[in-house]
Amino acid sequence: MVTNIQVAADLREMQRRAEEAELKLQRVEKLENEAKSSTYKFEEITSKWALAKEMTIPQELWQLLNQQQQQCALLLEEKNKLIGELQQELKNKDEQYVWAIKKQSDDIHLLLERMEEQIRFMLKNYRHELLQIEKAFELERRELLDNNRKKWEEAIQAHNAQELEYLHARMRKVEEFEKQLNQLRVQDEEEYNSMKIQLENDVQNLERQLQQMKAVYQLNQEKLEYNLQVLRKQDEENTIIRSQQKRKLNRLHSLLNNLRTKLANQEKQFREENHSLAADCERITGQCKEVQRRMRHFAISDAEKFTEVWLMNEEEAKGLMRKALDADHVIHTQQLGLPWEEPRYWFLNNVGPLGHYKVKRMATKLAAEVLTESSSGGQEEEGREKEEVGSGEGGKENTAKVGGRVTPLRNISKKTAKRILELISDESGFLIESKLLRSLQALGTHERTLMKLDSIFAALEIDSEDDLYQLVDFFLKYKAQDMAVSQSQGSPGAEDVMDLAEDREDGGSGAQRNKLKSPRSSLGSLPSVYFHADDVLKILKAFVRGFDKLREKDRSAKEVLQVRDSSKDEEYWEALAHVIPEPTLKLWDALVVALEEYYEILMQRASLLAEVALLQQQNSELCLLLEEYISSGVNSKLLSPPTKWMDLNLSCPGEAQWVPRARARLFPAPS
Amino acid sequence: MVPTAHTKLSFSLSPLENPILDRLLPEHQRKVLDRLSTGLPLAVTANLISDEDYWKRCCTERWQACDISNYGDSWKQMFFERHLENILKCFIPNTTDPNQVLDLIPLCKDYVRKLEVDQFLPPVQMDQEERDDLSNTGSDFGFGEVSIHHYDLGVLITALPHLEELHLTYGVKDCGMNFEWNLFNFTHQDCCNLAVAVKMCHNLKVFKLTRSKVDDDKTRLLVRNLLDHPCLVELNLSHNLIRDKGAQAVGKLINHSRLQTLDLCNNQIHHLGAQALARALAENSTLTSLNLRLNCVEDKGGEAIGRALLTNTTLKSIHLGSNNLSEPTAMLFSQVLAQNTSLMNINFSCNHLGLDGGKQLLEGLADNKALTKFNLRLAEVGQETEYLIHQIVWANREEMRLGSLQHPPAKPI
Repeated sequence: MVTNIQVAADLREMQRRAEEAELKLQRVEKLENEAKSSTYKFEEITSKWALAKEMTIPQELWQLLNQQQQQCALLLEEKNKLIGELQQELKNKDEQYVWAIKKQSDDIHLLLERMEEQIRFMLKNYRHELLQIEKAFELERRELLDNNRKKWEEAIQAHNAQELEYLHARMRKVEEFEKQLNQLRVQDEEEYNSMKIQLENDVQNLERQLQQMKAVYQLNQEKLEYNLQVLRKQDEENTIIRSQQKRKLNRLHSLLNNLRTKLANQEKQFREENHSLAADCERITGQCKEVQRRMRHFAISDAEKFTEVWLMNEEEAKGLMRKALDADHVIHTQQLGLPWEEPRYWFLNNVGPLGHYKVKRMATKLAAEVLTESSSGGQEEEGREKEEVGSGEGGKENTAKVGGRVTPLRNISKKTAKRILELISDESGFLIESKLLRSLQALGTHERTLMKLDSIFAALEIDSEDDLYQLVDFFLKYKAQDMAVSQSQGSPGAEDVMDLAEDREDGGSGAQRNKLKSPRSSLGSLPSVYFHADDVLKILKAFVRGFDKLREKDRSAKEVLQVRDSSKDEEYWEALAHVIPEPTLKLWDALVVALEEYYEILMQRASLLAEVALLQQQNSELCLLLEEYISSGVNSKLLSPPTKWMDLNLSCPGEAQWVPRARARLFPAPS
Repeated sequence: MVPTAHTKLSFSLSPLENPILDRLLPEHQRKVLDRLSTGLPLAVTANLISDEDYWKRCCTERWQACDISNYGDSWKQMFFERHLENILKCFIPNTTDPNQVLDLIPLCKDYVRKLEVDQFLPPVQMDQEERDDLSNTGSDFGFGEVSIHHYDLGVLITALPHLEELHLTYGVKDCGMNFEWNLFNFTHQDCCNLAVAVKMCHNLKVFKLTRSKVDDDKTRLLVRNLLDHPCLVELNLSHNLIRDKGAQAVGKLINHSRLQTLDLCNNQIHHLGAQALARALAENSTLTSLNLRLNCVEDKGGEAIGRALLTNTTLKSIHLGSNNLSEPTAMLFSQVLAQNTSLMNINFSCNHLGLDGGKQLLEGLADNKALTKFNLRLAEVGQETEYLIHQIVWANREEMRLGSLQHPPAKPI
């Protein structure tokens, strides 16, 4: 309502502005037009002025001037008219302004009216609302008052009733309490009396105790003072001790640090030592090995030396023995005149130390043996005999040993062994070097097999005959597992043992052995047929696997075997020493006695002879002296010369003839 | 009575040299204050008496209508502000003694927070008769520039440390039939003085310069001095002669200050100025109220503002009344109404929106819940549409009211 007026005024203003703008535009246009036309006219007039200058005729000039005047007047009139119009407009505007002012004042009046009206309306409304609110408030208040009054009265009544009740209860309680009070009073009086007496006693006791306590207190005080002093001193001591301990602690700390550093150093040192010791250990093991090697070397050299010494001693002994025998021979033939027979002992022919250790043949040799044996029995036999001859014809035991060595292989029989070896040589050709194979083409079948075997054994590291036996054994065992023919093999084995025992007694008779071999070979050849070529490789593989373990054991066993058996040595030497038998010695003893006697006699004779010789010499000297004396002039001078009465026949040469004869008898010339 | 005698004595002795009022007992103080004359010189009372009753007596004796609510509920503030305003209104340059104002400054500087001066007298003409003669023919010209400057507020304003509001109108009130154009001449020099003074006044929050013939140059001068003002919140340049360039300057100011309220009503802003304002509005996040009533924004400017409002989220109130707007603006504003959720008050009164424009606005308003005021009076939208729009707006307003009641629930009495 109120703002409507403003809006309306705005609208009017806007319209007015629009109109004004339009009018302004028109006016401007009009003015411009007017200005144009007037300038045109003015130009016209001015151009005529120029024309007027040219005029010479006064009438014309006057006419022209008149014309000009008229035109100017016209122009002015137009201008004035325009001015008048504008002024009219201005007046209109003024009127409009007045009207607008009036309108505005009207508007303002209207506005005021409306505002007043609104205010009046609002006031009325507010008053009405206020009245309503007051009424409602009054009503509410009255209700509240009533309610509160009612509540109040109820509460008062209840309060009164309760108070009465409380009063009655109180009266009752008061009576009760009075009774109780009286009772209590009587009781308390009695109690009081008793208590008083007791307390008096107590007081006395307590006084006494107090005094005691005072005394104790003083005592205690003194004690405590003393204790205090003691404690102070202790405290001082403690402080001193603490400081000492602290110092000690520091010292120990430093010590600990030192020790730690030392420990670290020592650890380092020990580690270094450990290293050095490890190096030492290695060195020592090296040395040990060296020593062992040296020992082995020494052992070998010892053995050599031993044999040398042995040979030397034996030579010496044999020289001595020979000498003894010669002496015996001389004694027998020359002294006793008995026929002398040279004694024949086994040890006489022995040269070098006794062969108790086994001489290992090479596996290949054995294989060759086996191969050649079966192919040509006679040849093998000859080879064996030669061998035996080489080892010592007379040594029965030696040959027996050699026989024993061959037994394990013999157990299996030559044919079987040969069969196995041939199989091996054929099937494991891959182990042989290719160069060798080519060179083998030129050789014969037997030699080829041998060469092949040689190289195969080299590849399988089979060196000694034991290894070969094991290989063959292994083949057989393998086979035995497949086929249960072990029984048939067991019996010939037992026979073999028996045969061998016989062999030993037989000594070097090869013919018998040959006979025995034939049935054995027939028996042994039975299983050999069953070996299949395809199995050989498998068996070889298994063997090589197990072989390493076996070899380790063998090594240790071989070492032990190196130790010589010296039990027979004593006997041998004893026998050497007693090459001259006991009766002969006795004979020699008797002979010695007799000869000594004889010698004594001879000695006596010799002394006698010397005496004789001395006497002869004296005699001859005396003879000479006598002769001198005789021949001397003195003698002649003498009354009776001694020569005359002495026998001068005795001469020296007669004596010389006698001595050689006796000697020849006593000492027979050595033959 | 001893106390009264004592008080009289004490007061009559030397009020200036012996201000013992503070040391009196409360009841004696009361008595003294009740008996004090309102005619005592301000130099004595201004800084001595803080009692509201005394100042109330002073005010009521001096003025008939006294609305204390406009003066911070303080009688003393009211008294001094109105006293200062009266002096300024009656100040005639070159005639009145400037010390009349300057003497008052130390007395009132602690109490004046608002200055509302709605008239500045021009200097008196030397030849009164000549002026009378000329008044008939319209004496727009013929006066020396120097002589027509108004009072320079610079000295006064910069001496008032608490000044927060400044309402100025360079014109003469109640001139009646003595109207002359030169009574309403806000000169360039005046503008310079004012601008410098306002710039110095750091606590100023509200600045109103209305009905003062402020044109583009003066606007730009003012704006240049108001740029980055620390406190200014409200600027009112209504009823002036601001055109597009002035509007562009104001648009620049919007984004270089904390302006929240801008009133440019009854100026001569056309679409160029409106577009400049719209550009500023699109980036701005402080302005909440914009008044462009009685301008010539027309559809181009209206559409620009509408587009700005599609992105702006702070503006709550916009007045585009009497701006020659028509249907295209209405179409764009229907979009704005559908999207914008901050606008609460729109005024399209006295435009030619037409029936279709009204329907468009109605459509846009269908889902809007924020708008609480939508003025379409005399906008040619048709009664029915106006009624429906009114209904929606009323519903929104009711909801808002209920929401505000619910959110801060009234404390039980």
